This record gives sequence, structure tokens and C-alpha cells, in this order.
Amino acid sequence: MNAFQILALGILLCLFIVTILAIARGIVSRRDGILWALLWLAAGIAMAFPELTVAAARRLGIGRGADLILYCAVVVMMTGFLMVYSRLRRLQREVTLLARHIAITEALDTAAHPGKSSSDVDKPGAGNEA
Amino acid sequence: MTDSPSPSNDSLPAEVIARTFVVMPAFNESACIAQVSAKVRALYPNVVVVDDGSTDDTFAAARDSATYVLRHPVNRGQGAALQTGIMFALARGAEYIVSFDSDGQHEVDDIAALVAPIHAGTCDVSLGSRFLGETFEMPLSRRMLLRLAVLFTRAVSRVRVTDTHNGLRAFSRPAAEQMNITLDRMAHASELLDQIRQNRLEYREVPVRVRYTDYSLAKGQSARGAIRILIHYIFGRMIR
Repeated sequence: MNAFQILALGILLCLFIVTILAIARGIVSRRDGILWALLWLAAGIAMAFPELTVAAARRLGIGRGADLILYCAVVVMMTGFLMVYSRLRRLQREVTLLARHIAITEALDTAAHPGKSSSDVDKPGAGNEA
Repeated sequence: MTDSPSPSNDSLPAEVIARTFVVMPAFNESACIAQVSAKVRALYPNVVVVDDGSTDDTFAAARDSATYVLRHPVNRGQGAALQTGIMFALARGAEYIVSFDSDGQHEVDDIAALVAPIHAGTCDVSLGSRFLGETFEMPLSRRMLLRLAVLFTRAVSRVRVTDTHNGLRAFSRPAAEQMNITLDRMAHASELLDQIRQNRLEYREVPVRVRYTDYSLAKGQSARGAIRILIHYIFGRMIR
């Protein structure tokens, strides 16, 4: 085992322990925590026994184990990107609905209360005269 | 903004005018919002300005001329502002809802022509078209860009219109109740046409005049903006 492997395995072990502790203390959900723990475990196995990834790569028709890892990483990252993007869109949607709700409930009716919105009192920014 | 003969709404009965709400989304339009909304309000008593989180004093500028002024606390885009205005108008009992750009490119005169066919029951939605009407000083590049947008819309939304991105439109109350604009930014124009088709609404195009001033051109879309809108629209259809 070379120095790099020892270092990387040490870091992965730390991450694994932190993840287990996080699950135990309820900082992450059980499902997410187990997924992360499995990821660290898989990375550790690939680090400790590189010949395993080579064998798996050969079986899939890819030359080197490192290439297999790279391809997997790309797929995982793209999936993650899409998930983050769709969550972002959902968040934007929710912000719009909130903004709309505020706009409608605080609408200024110039005919009913000339120059004064019903909520001007409790809304500091609303009184800014031009 | 000098005017051709003074605008009128003579062709509409008074009770229709009383129940017509003109919605004007406005983002950083303090320079002209007061003037434009005052012109509209001179003929239509219900003018709803939706200040879309402007960073200038659009809100203050609109409060003296518009009937209702709404404000998004943060900028959400023209589509979002339009939907907000439509929902507000519906809550206030609107029977006819008109969308009107706040940069002064539309003619107040044309509102009556849009509302009339809805009042007559010939359609649920009327869409202003600058290509059926007369247009003042439209630059060639703008004309080409809009033509491309029309071809794209015909292919994707399968709605045959001559002008897809005109801000001047009118909806009957039932049609407005079915509209739900979810694309917050400029791609809402295409989404709107999609919903017209999906809800099987009767629509008709009405020739309107569009005035191209330096101001409205600066606020309008460039070719680069158009590509951004296209991307938003495609992503909006792909990822819900």
C-alpha cells in the first residue's frame, strides 16, 4: 500500500465516521446518511483494491479502472446537476407565489385610500416618497 | 409620445368599460409609468400597475395615476407580474382583462378594439398584432426577430398567429381564470399561447399599432435576449 492510498483511506475513514455520527445525532436523514456512508465505503474499497475496478472496467469493455471511475463520476455529477436545477426551479416558483401573495394582499387602492396602502403602517419600506 | 387624434373608447358600452381592468406590469419604468397609466385611466377606470420589484421609484410614480398599485417585493419577471395583475383583477370582479405594456408602445385607442370581440362573444381572447396593424418606425432587425419568433411558435405551440410577442391582449373573465403563467420571465408570451390552445379558447388577432421609441427599443429585446427567452421556454417545457 503506497502513501497516497494510506492518506486517502484515512480521509475516507474520517468522512465515514463523521457521517455515521451525523446520522446518530439526526443532523442528516437516515436515508441520505446511509447513501453517503455507502459512497465513502465504495470509494475506500476502490482505493484499497484498485485491481477490483480494473476487473470491473474490463468486464464493461472499458480499458482502465480509472476511466470507469471517471465515467461514473460524470454520470453522478450530471444527475446531481439536474436535481439541483429542478429544485432551483421549484424554489423560484415558490418565491414567485410568495411575492404574488404579498403584492395582492398589500395592494394599494388609490381610490379607497388615496396615497396610502392599508399596510403602510407595519411596512417600513412602503412609505418612501419619491 | 405625441398622440394621433385623441384616444377614445366610444365603441364600448359604459358597463363594459366599468368592468374592464387594464393590467400593466412595470419594471423600472418610473420615467413614463405615470404618463402612460394616466392616459389609460382617462378612459378606463380600473388600471392595475404591478411594480415588479423595481429598483427605481416606479411604485411612487404610479400611485398618483393608477387605480391600483401592486408591488412584488422582489423582481420576478414580466410573466409573473402579469399573472399577479390578472389574479388581482379577477379578485376585484373584472369581466374583461387587458394586458398593456407600461413603456408607452401601445395606443390606448386599441384597447376598445380588443375588448369589443370578447364582449360580442366572438372570442375568449384577443391578441394584438402589430403585423396586421400599422407600426411606427420598427427597425428591420426587430422585424426579422419577431418573424422568427412567430415561425417558432407556429411550429411548437401550433397556434397560428402573426405576432406572438405583443404585450397588448384582452381576456374574458373565464379565459383569464384558466390562465396560469408559470414561466416568470419573458418566455411567458409563448406559454400563454400554449395555454390558449390547451384550454381550447377561441382567440382572434386584432390589428394594433406599436410605437417604437428610443425608450421602448432600449427596454425591448435584442437578439441575444431572444435566445435567452428561447432557452427559458424550452427548459420550462422540459422540466416542470
